[in-house]
Amino acid sequence: MKSRKTIALLLAAVTVFSSASAIQVSAAEDELILYTWEAMFPQEVLDGFTEETGIKVIYSNFDTDETMLEKLAMAEGGDYDVVVADDYIIEQAVNEGLVMELDKSQIPNFENINPLYQGQFYDPEDKYTVPYGAGIPLIVYDPEETDVDIKGYGDLWDESLEDAVALTANYRVILGITLLSMGYSMNEQDPEIIAQAGEKLVELAPNVRLIQDDNTQDSLLNGEAAAAFLYTSQVTMALMENPDLTVVYPEEGLGFGIMGMFIPSKAPNAEAAHKFIDYILRPEVSAACFDFMGYYCTTKAADELVNPDLVVPDSVSKGEIIQNVSQEAEEAFSKAWTEFKDACD
Amino acid sequence: MKQYKHLIKPYIIWAAALIVVPLIMIVLYAFTEEGNSVLTFSFTLENFAKFAESTYVNVIVKSFRLGIFTTVLCLLLGYPLAFIISRCSEKSQAFLILLVTIPEWINMLLRTYAWMNLLSDNGIINNLLEMLGMKPVSMMYTDFSVIVGLVCNFMPFMIIPIYTSLSKMDKSLIEAAYDLGANRFQTFRKVIWKLSIPGVLNGIMMVFLLSVSTFVIPKLLGGGQYMLIGNLIETQFISVGDWNFGSAISMILAVIIILFMRLMKKMDTQEE
Repeated sequence: MKSRKTIALLLAAVTVFSSASAIQVSAAEDELILYTWEAMFPQEVLDGFTEETGIKVIYSNFDTDETMLEKLAMAEGGDYDVVVADDYIIEQAVNEGLVMELDKSQIPNFENINPLYQGQFYDPEDKYTVPYGAGIPLIVYDPEETDVDIKGYGDLWDESLEDAVALTANYRVILGITLLSMGYSMNEQDPEIIAQAGEKLVELAPNVRLIQDDNTQDSLLNGEAAAAFLYTSQVTMALMENPDLTVVYPEEGLGFGIMGMFIPSKAPNAEAAHKFIDYILRPEVSAACFDFMGYYCTTKAADELVNPDLVVPDSVSKGEIIQNVSQEAEEAFSKAWTEFKDACD
Repeated sequence: MKQYKHLIKPYIIWAAALIVVPLIMIVLYAFTEEGNSVLTFSFTLENFAKFAESTYVNVIVKSFRLGIFTTVLCLLLGYPLAFIISRCSEKSQAFLILLVTIPEWINMLLRTYAWMNLLSDNGIINNLLEMLGMKPVSMMYTDFSVIVGLVCNFMPFMIIPIYTSLSKMDKSLIEAAYDLGANRFQTFRKVIWKLSIPGVLNGIMMVFLLSVSTFVIPKLLGGGQYMLIGNLIETQFISVGDWNFGSAISMILAVIIILFMRLMKKMDTQEE
């Protein structure tokens, strides 16, 4: 009888405690509410922060960027201390006034960031965000199967690669790299230029073996394709299976997606949030995080510590993020893509 | 009896909400201008004009060519099989028809992936060829692999209706033809074929409609290099966000199919 009472009491205590921690987090000085997707930080890194500062990290998850923005808007920029999310949604959050300007004097490690990933459209002056990992589609090829030394997107048009190129299936990305190979921006809005890129892409058709978003790397591994344009996770998988493959960081520039850390405008514990961001930007901590996530390293100072496959070489100095374009441009992209597919089979 | 009529009412509501209203929406979108809001609209024929461009006409021509080719192949391969089955003893007929339908119990995607395993460069067929000392053939992501996949998937839809009309046939008519001096070929041409035409037309209609609107099989076996009418509609709605144009293409496809079905029906009644 007594033990049952104890359990009941314990349960009640737990309930009270947990509901209190959900509502009254702002009161606790030694807590930090981290809001991001699942599995974005290794547990050792979070534990290390707690050990050092005594600040407990409470990891809260969302499934999609849109959910995050909705919750943050409902809390009017409060409730959470640090948020990690995708580039385009950060732009919206900034526009809605939900993001706090970073106090860089509290983040001495700010200079550890790789400038390649700074000054992007969602935060042109780097006032609000710190990049935390990038996804970069890249060219991977099998040197034994190809006669050309592939250096950039332009080399995919080489005649020796006939029927040997695999591509991912996002039309904005594929037309984007065609535009890059012509010296334009991936977000070109002029329908004339997009049509020109479409014509150039049609010329690639004889080389194309496969256009597919899922498991594109398989075609490279089983010999169906000699060169492939792959998403980051596919590049990693391809290299795991066959370390002899060559990864190309195209000379014309990269197209990427960035995840950024920011502090909401009314973060309950902004001081701890700054401390946390500074802690993550330490070379050894960053390296542990990127090794864990498998995304490209955005902390320059960690380049030497992290898995070398996750480091973009210094020779690449240009990178761009695909943004929404006008309806007119969107139609031109879709038409060019239809023409390309028509020429493929 | 009369009170049972009320039972139909829930269905009417269901059909109105989930079939009629969406169809009206599609028609409305097809004839209106830009944007996904139906609240403020102005009518236009621009969406249809856009389709007249050669890029999009090519897509529909290609879809129909693929559909017709698949249908003809299914007919050429399916008719003899249906004929042979209908000549067998009743017991083996049931068994053979079961064999024809069994593949349909398996998910279409799985069947298509099975073909990918067979046809790929390192697939079972190429491994066999290599073991026999022959040069491997590249079969995946070509017209060949797409046609094989389509024919294999849609064959039962051709065989079953033909088989049904053949097995329902009055055998005494065939005997009468022989009695009147017709040889085997004449009997087939003048009696059996004529009597099986309703089944053939049904089969053609089913296979053609399925293969014209398909997009998963060409996507997987064609290595994403096919832009068929189904893919085009999908892209307009999902990636481009041009619902108006997407609706216009859907309408064009629907009209062509309706015309085609009426033509078939006309042929059917003429034969009778």
